Amino acid sequence: MDIKKQEQKFKDKLHNSIDVASRTISKNGVEVCFVYLKSITDNLVFSQSIFEPISNFEGELTFDVVKQIVKSNDVSDAKEQQVVEKILKGGVAVFLSNSEQYLIIDIQKYNTRAPSEPPTSPVIMGPREGFTEDLKTNMTLIRRHFYGEELVFEEMLIGEMTKTQVVIAYLDGVASKDIVKEIKKKLKKVKIDGVVDSYYLISLLSNRPNSILKQVGNSEKPDIVASKMLEGRIALIVDNSPIVLTIPFMFLEDLQSSNDYYTNYVYASLLRIVRLIGLFFAVVGPGAYIALQLFHHNILPIKYLITIADSTQQIPFTPFVEILFINLLFQILYEVSLRLPSYLGLATSVVGALILGDTGVKAGLISPPSVIVVAIAKIALYTVPEQASQITILQLVFMILGASLGILGLLGGIIYVIAYANSVENFGTPYLAPFSPFILSDNKDALLKVPLQDMTTRPKSFENNDEERINDD
Amino acid sequence: MTIKDKSLTAWQVGIMLFIILFSNKILVLPSLLYEGAKLEAYFVPIILFVLEFGLIYLFYRMKRAFPTQSFAEILQKYFGKVVMKVILFLIMLFFIFKAILLYNVTYLFFKTLIYQDSSNILFLFCFIPVITHLGIMGLRVMGRTMQIFFPLIVGVTVFCIVIGLLGIKDLPLLFQSSIGDIALTSIKHIAGFGDSLLLFLIIDKITIKRGQWKVIFSLSGISMFLVISITAVFLFTYTYTSFLHPFALFEIMCYVKEYGGVGRIDMISMLLIVILTYFQLAIYLKMFMLSFLEVFGKINEIISAISFNLFFILAISYVVLNLGKAILYGENFLPYFAILPFVVVPVLCFIALVLLKREKKK
Repeated sequence: MDIKKQEQKFKDKLHNSIDVASRTISKNGVEVCFVYLKSITDNLVFSQSIFEPISNFEGELTFDVVKQIVKSNDVSDAKEQQVVEKILKGGVAVFLSNSEQYLIIDIQKYNTRAPSEPPTSPVIMGPREGFTEDLKTNMTLIRRHFYGEELVFEEMLIGEMTKTQVVIAYLDGVASKDIVKEIKKKLKKVKIDGVVDSYYLISLLSNRPNSILKQVGNSEKPDIVASKMLEGRIALIVDNSPIVLTIPFMFLEDLQSSNDYYTNYVYASLLRIVRLIGLFFAVVGPGAYIALQLFHHNILPIKYLITIADSTQQIPFTPFVEILFINLLFQILYEVSLRLPSYLGLATSVVGALILGDTGVKAGLISPPSVIVVAIAKIALYTVPEQASQITILQLVFMILGASLGILGLLGGIIYVIAYANSVENFGTPYLAPFSPFILSDNKDALLKVPLQDMTTRPKSFENNDEERINDD
Repeated sequence: MTIKDKSLTAWQVGIMLFIILFSNKILVLPSLLYEGAKLEAYFVPIILFVLEFGLIYLFYRMKRAFPTQSFAEILQKYFGKVVMKVILFLIMLFFIFKAILLYNVTYLFFKTLIYQDSSNILFLFCFIPVITHLGIMGLRVMGRTMQIFFPLIVGVTVFCIVIGLLGIKDLPLLFQSSIGDIALTSIKHIAGFGDSLLLFLIIDKITIKRGQWKVIFSLSGISMFLVISITAVFLFTYTYTSFLHPFALFEIMCYVKEYGGVGRIDMISMLLIVILTYFQLAIYLKMFMLSFLEVFGKINEIISAISFNLFFILAISYVVLNLGKAILYGENFLPYFAILPFVVVPVLCFIALVLLKREKKK
């Protein structure tokens, strides 16, 4: 093999990028060349485990000898057309002038952060570790929950340019083979230039990609993903993403919180009911308030009517414009607080709560009941934070319905949305199961939660292979 | 297989039947029945529900005899294509006329109570998109949606009845009207019943496992019991002034308006009426669509939904828009249509069952 020519060929293929490193040494008339990327490999390991053993070797260097003397457990042969791909993944390509073969030694290394509690799902009790951006760490975090032989990891590469590693994780004998097959089929069909985060796959895996309803589950916590896998779900771990996707997904999952499983079951049931009420109020509350003010003030009890009339009579805007204005204000403050550095957060709160809220009321631009309704609705929105984006859109729709069609329109809207949600099925799983279709056994861990020992079967709302969870015998 | 193609479960059919048997009989019917049968008016739903139950039983026999065939196929096989088309055309009209009557009654209820200044257009804007959406999404989606609302519907109804019972001061004297009055009132209002005809139209779209028939019979029984209870509670609450209170379910709640410091609990019944009207209209639309598709060939579902809406809007806008007219229309015109569910369909089904038996013997 012409070492110089081959080295240049690989360098050219890598566009002579500045992090491409190559080195050629000559030992007893045999030339050995190393090509790798400095940015994603461990320099120390390269010099101690690969370079030193080869350069210090006194005998005749052959391909098989090199394979024996390098101090690494991840050594493999590769064809010429695979070499660049392996280098790009943190491998060192080693080739000799007296051989036509290529050796790849994986010494990938890059900086990753340590698992920490994810900001989106903090818990009072229970495990606090969360996924990171590193695929291997994430796989380890899941593996630590399953020391049994059932856990399977299967790899796929997605993205023409990014070649992102996507790992399909499931429990053999528990997860449905058909769903695993369907996921693989869908992923194979994906023709995209790159997958930067797991969210890129969500719309590609959804049956109705244009729907506002969430059709793929996600979590940042290994304990949640592990418990979902125990129920028969399949997890998708995407390299560079701390969010692991779970399939199939049902609306109920967002109503549950990991806290529910580390607390008393009666209290957990109560919290779930509160979350549902919160969600309902967040969606319909502002719209219902507008409808009552505009169309149905006569159905309000007289005492409430007087209070509301008293505080709204000086307001120059219609209830709809008023509520829309407060909503917009809140959304602006929310966006600002997300993007501003934390030390400016206090200033935002002062501006939002005191200057805009209090002064707005005192100036007679907005009424106290409207501020209360919007505030409650916005707080209630975060009882189910995973659904916040969908709820915000629906909130606006219901405000328009309340303002234009009153209670009749609101109820029509509710029926419409529920019917629409009922028409959504992903991987054969009804979105609103186990409420509709009603599945009695699955309702043991739905809106109400029974003690763990009574949850003897896996969910029937979606396909899985093994029904039994607790064996009474 | 899409969600549209999948069949209904016994629970979904039971809930659908529950809603359709219940919702158009709890608003104006009790007051109207009083005019004919006085305080014994609750006998009328009892009598008519016996007929209705007979229809459900006939469906049970038909489903067992023809587990996979559609109603149109059964009719065509034993009576020919023309009879099939005529019967389904009449069923189509039966359901749309019922939809018009229901819409009018609900419209006038809301116009009287909370939408005093609003127009018919606003109401149509509310109802048409929702019921069309439900109709086009299919029976399965409709069944599942009703399943979500079912506990709420039953809970609120029972609550209304309990609150209504609290409003009864004395039990009035009974037997003020004759059997003839009750019979005449039953005939006059028979068109309000016969809704279980829907079962025949979806006979091939239902999967009922062994032992699940009791779900359908129980739910229809509960529905009938609730209607009779509401009628009785209403009559015993308002006694001799019942005819002055046209909206039964709402009125029994109004009687105890400020109960328990909650205030305006009558609103609950109002919300229940809205939900029930949406669902019942959606069922009527779907039944219209199913018969329309059989009568006019396998055309687009959307065209059948549009046809319903066009006919519905035209009829609503030009024919009936006040309570008096709506009631007259219901009492004078619709009873003739009741021949369809209570005479024509049962006779045809009976003949079909006999012919099938003979076929099997041969």
